[in-house]
Amino acid sequence: MNWRKLRTFLLTVLVLCLIPATRYYQIDAPLLHFLKGSRDVDPLSLHLAGEFVENNLGTEQGADGSVTVRMIAQQYLFVPHCILVPAGVPVHLRITSADVVHALAFNGTDYNVKVLPGTISEAQLQFSSPGEFKTVCREFCGAGHYAMRSELKVVPRDQFPVLRSGERGNCAAQ
Amino acid sequence: MRRNSGRSSVWNFLRVTAVVFAASSLLLVASDNAPERVPSYVSWSQETLAAASAGDAFRGMLLAKRCDHCHGSEGFSATGSTPNLADMDELAIWKELEDFRSHKRISRAMEPIAESLSSRDVADVVAYYSKLPVYTDPQDNRNFPGSRPGPGHAAIASHLVAFGDGERGIPPCQSCHGPVAYRPGVPSLMTQNSEYVLSQLEAFANRSRANDINMPMRTISTLLTEDERHALAEYYGSGLGLQPGSSR
Ligand code: HEC
Ligand code: HEC
Ligand SMILES: [Cu+2]
Repeated sequence: MNWRKLRTFLLTVLVLCLIPATRYYQIDAPLLHFLKGSRDVDPLSLHLAGEFVENNLGTEQGADGSVTVRMIAQQYLFVPHCILVPAGVPVHLRITSADVVHALAFNGTDYNVKVLPGTISEAQLQFSSPGEFKTVCREFCGAGHYAMRSELKVVPRDQFPVLRSGERGNCAAQ
Repeated sequence: MRRNSGRSSVWNFLRVTAVVFAASSLLLVASDNAPERVPSYVSWSQETLAAASAGDAFRGMLLAKRCDHCHGSEGFSATGSTPNLADMDELAIWKELEDFRSHKRISRAMEPIAESLSSRDVADVVAYYSKLPVYTDPQDNRNFPGSRPGPGHAAIASHLVAFGDGERGIPPCQSCHGPVAYRPGVPSLMTQNSEYVLSQLEAFANRSRANDINMPMRTISTLLTEDERHALAEYYGSGLGLQPGSSR
């Protein structure tokens, strides 16, 4: 009877050990890839179709007051080059890479989002008060990496432009 | 009784399906996303890379007789507003011709010419021009190299080419256009005419040229000042790009 208990215990431990091991050796990568299949995008054809076509980049206003921001990271720019969001509302960030691995960070905040080609990285942000933040890439991505910087502007809610349907906001110079 | 309830459950099933179907099609219609703006139909897939580099340079040489009087018999044009094609990156020439063909890049001169070329012709002229050597020829009436920029402009340009401007988020030109690093479909500007470089920087900035995939050049040219655009055009147009660092 004790043996049976021990056997169950050992088996449980073994299974528990297998979980981090599969993560560590990425044995589950194909499975995760499959499960995430519907979210994947082709980094080479973002501009042809789908949610990262150029006129869909920027800030989209949701019906509930929250906003969705879509961005592309590429060597060596973030597009749009200046992100405009209202203060005090939930910001859903959706970003993907057109080439290599980047990491999006807003200087002066704790937000740091890893951006991988082929995957859409999502993050929930919120900025309580208006301000301006430098957007920087925190993952070495090549020759121009150190100049991969742009801006995030948080404006009071009433100063955020009213967008027509299909229109996306940003503060990049036109 | 039993049969009856069976039939009604079939009915219910059909009704529910119909409602779900109607609702989902309504939702599809309601999510009125603006039509997509596609900058260029080219994407750098393996097939594209293969197609763009499969040309026959000899056949290209014969076809290029049609291009000579504008782009020069050695790939260097006599007028500053017409680009030099000699030794230009294979993928870049290919992409520009494809964009002219699909009217994604607007040019009164080039659209009809590019349209008259077949896919095979395009690959062939690409093979030819990308292999044309860059050497000086006193017999040629080429525009390149133009006069050197003054010291002020030379300093502004070489700084932007080598370092960009991290404060404004302008990456160094040489990290995409070479010689430090190249990205697919990015032409080297080192032997390009000054007037043409300036016209393209302005065209990207005012969006009359909008065929850059994911907008790198529209973004960068907008961040540059008028003076910087002139400085950069003079820098490349005078051949300073061939000897990086020489002007500092
Ligand atoms: C009537 C004069 C003319 C002829 C003939 C001509 N071109 Fe052009 N080409 C131009 C001009 C002008 C431009 C600049 C386009 C613009 O306005 O932006 C250009 C641009 C190009 C470009 C884009 C270069 C770049 O740096 O982006 C390519 C490639 C090109 N031409 C290839 C050809 C080929 C191949 C032929 C022959 C089959 C040809 N051209 C014939 C005038 C001409
Ligand atoms: C992030 C990469 C990147 C950087 C940095 C960059 N460019 Fe470009 N540039 C491109 C791409 C990509 C194209 C080709 C656009 C297309 O597909 O037609 C291009 C095209 C151009 C052209 C048109 C060339 C032609 O033959 O038609 C000019 C001029 C130009 N760039 C100037 C510059 C200058 C000046 C700088 C530095 C201030 C610079 N670029 C920095 C990516 C870059
Ligand atoms: Cu980066």
